[in-house]
Amino acid sequence: MANFVNLEVFSNYQKYIDNEQEIRENIRIKVREIEQLAKEATIQLQIIHSDLSKIDGACQAARKQIASCAGVYKQLSEIIPHGQYYRYSDHWTYITQRLVFLIAMVVYLEAGFLVKRETVAEMLGLQVSHTEGFHLDIEDYLMGILQMASELSRFATNSVTMGDYDRPLNISHFMANLNSGFRLLNLKNDGLRKRFDALKYDVKKIEEVVYDISIRGLRNETTQPTAEDTAANETTSA
Amino acid sequence: MSQNSRFRHNNRRNQQKHKTGQDSNFSEELNPVVKVFQEYALELDDKHDRYERIVKLSRDITIESKRIIFLLHTIDGRKNNRSKVLEEAEKRLTKVIEVNFKSIALELNGQDPYQYRCAYSPGLQEFIEAYSFMEYYKSGADEKPGTMSDWMFLQQKMQYERDDKLNTITDESQKTIESPNQLDIETDVKTVPQKFEFFVDPTEYILGIADLTGELMRRCINSLGSGETDVCLETCKVLQQLYSGYISLNVQRCRELSRKIYTMRQSVLKAENVCYNVKVRGGEAAKWGAVFENKMNDDLDEGFY
Repeated sequence: MANFVNLEVFSNYQKYIDNEQEIRENIRIKVREIEQLAKEATIQLQIIHSDLSKIDGACQAARKQIASCAGVYKQLSEIIPHGQYYRYSDHWTYITQRLVFLIAMVVYLEAGFLVKRETVAEMLGLQVSHTEGFHLDIEDYLMGILQMASELSRFATNSVTMGDYDRPLNISHFMANLNSGFRLLNLKNDGLRKRFDALKYDVKKIEEVVYDISIRGLRNETTQPTAEDTAANETTSA
Repeated sequence: MSQNSRFRHNNRRNQQKHKTGQDSNFSEELNPVVKVFQEYALELDDKHDRYERIVKLSRDITIESKRIIFLLHTIDGRKNNRSKVLEEAEKRLTKVIEVNFKSIALELNGQDPYQYRCAYSPGLQEFIEAYSFMEYYKSGADEKPGTMSDWMFLQQKMQYERDDKLNTITDESQKTIESPNQLDIETDVKTVPQKFEFFVDPTEYILGIADLTGELMRRCINSLGSGETDVCLETCKVLQQLYSGYISLNVQRCRELSRKIYTMRQSVLKAENVCYNVKVRGGEAAKWGAVFENKMNDDLDEGFY
């Protein structure tokens, strides 16, 4: 009984954990690269809050950064052993959410609709389903979309400041759709749920902006475009 | 006029987007955003439901493992019940592997086991604790020098074959084509019968063994009560070895492990204190224990059932 303890177990485990820590170190290097690219894209997109005419240029610049992220994601996916995505995923969930936000923002600014998960995955060079390998987790996608909602509420107020009274109406309509979409989800008491709870404040903020411009007759009453009309127009023009 | 054109436009859009939609008559459901979110909802529900099912299964394992541990504590040198209790414990542990872990393995089949780690980790750790505790007694029972087994051993025990009829029938047609690959158990999931396993994470194993020290400490103290002073000294030695094994590990970012090592240190100190007492006034304790022998036994049993 005195020989019960097998110290080999500990040395084996040490080897196992050393291997894991090495992989984690490599992941951190790649994630930092992605973080840098995402940061640049974020900065480029900030211009939309101060100059509406530069939106197209900002979107193009951001798209370039996003496209380079796809390459790094590919390298990252090669580090991860098959079927161990969730063992290491805490390293990149945050930055992936950030990129979903950036992509969703760019797509909304360019085309006026909600980017689909498949499209985001394609732009980042990721798979949609976990069975196919390194994929875009659905919760990361949804978290990114919620981040976009907050940014849009900021964008709505700023576009009014810059004299664009139609844009908040589009955003308001878009957010209403988004809100009804999120209401379909049965969320557990987790991070996504908490982030979703903040969505109503973003919606409220935009509704206040719409109310303000409507009551003062600032919006153009004759054309009265719906979000879908402008969305369709923007799609054709984009 | 503008109103009319808008409505026409809307209708056309909706028809294009939702030709495939099922009985969605409300404008709310014709919305493309809502449409994709319905899919997301299904996916999230599936994940959450699976998670909850695994939590339930894990809880069953925890309960049974705790009971087995209590059962093992009833082993008493004076009762000569070691082999009988060990036999029952081993039987029940095997049953847990064959029934409970198989159910979890079924749920995890084709999934990423790390995604559901939090759901099954309490049960797995408790089971490892019970299993290693059983092995501890066993190593003393047999004359051969038995040691604790590692995670590879448990991993080998948790290999399963799918046995439901439906699957074997549908796979029957592929049997001839697939048979050359049948040796390759790990990668080929289509072989007949379908093989799958419950993944034993080495980290969970190490955390489970860390819990074992608590049981060993309890055994050490109980043995003092029953006057088996040699058991006290022996468990204390095992505890010290385990503790030095654990502090030799260099693991970053695992708060759970450092917490357990802290608790382990408390257990080691308690056991060492017991041994000190045995040494200093060992004779007195044994005599005292012999006087109340029968009464002590009753108390012991009551605590564990």
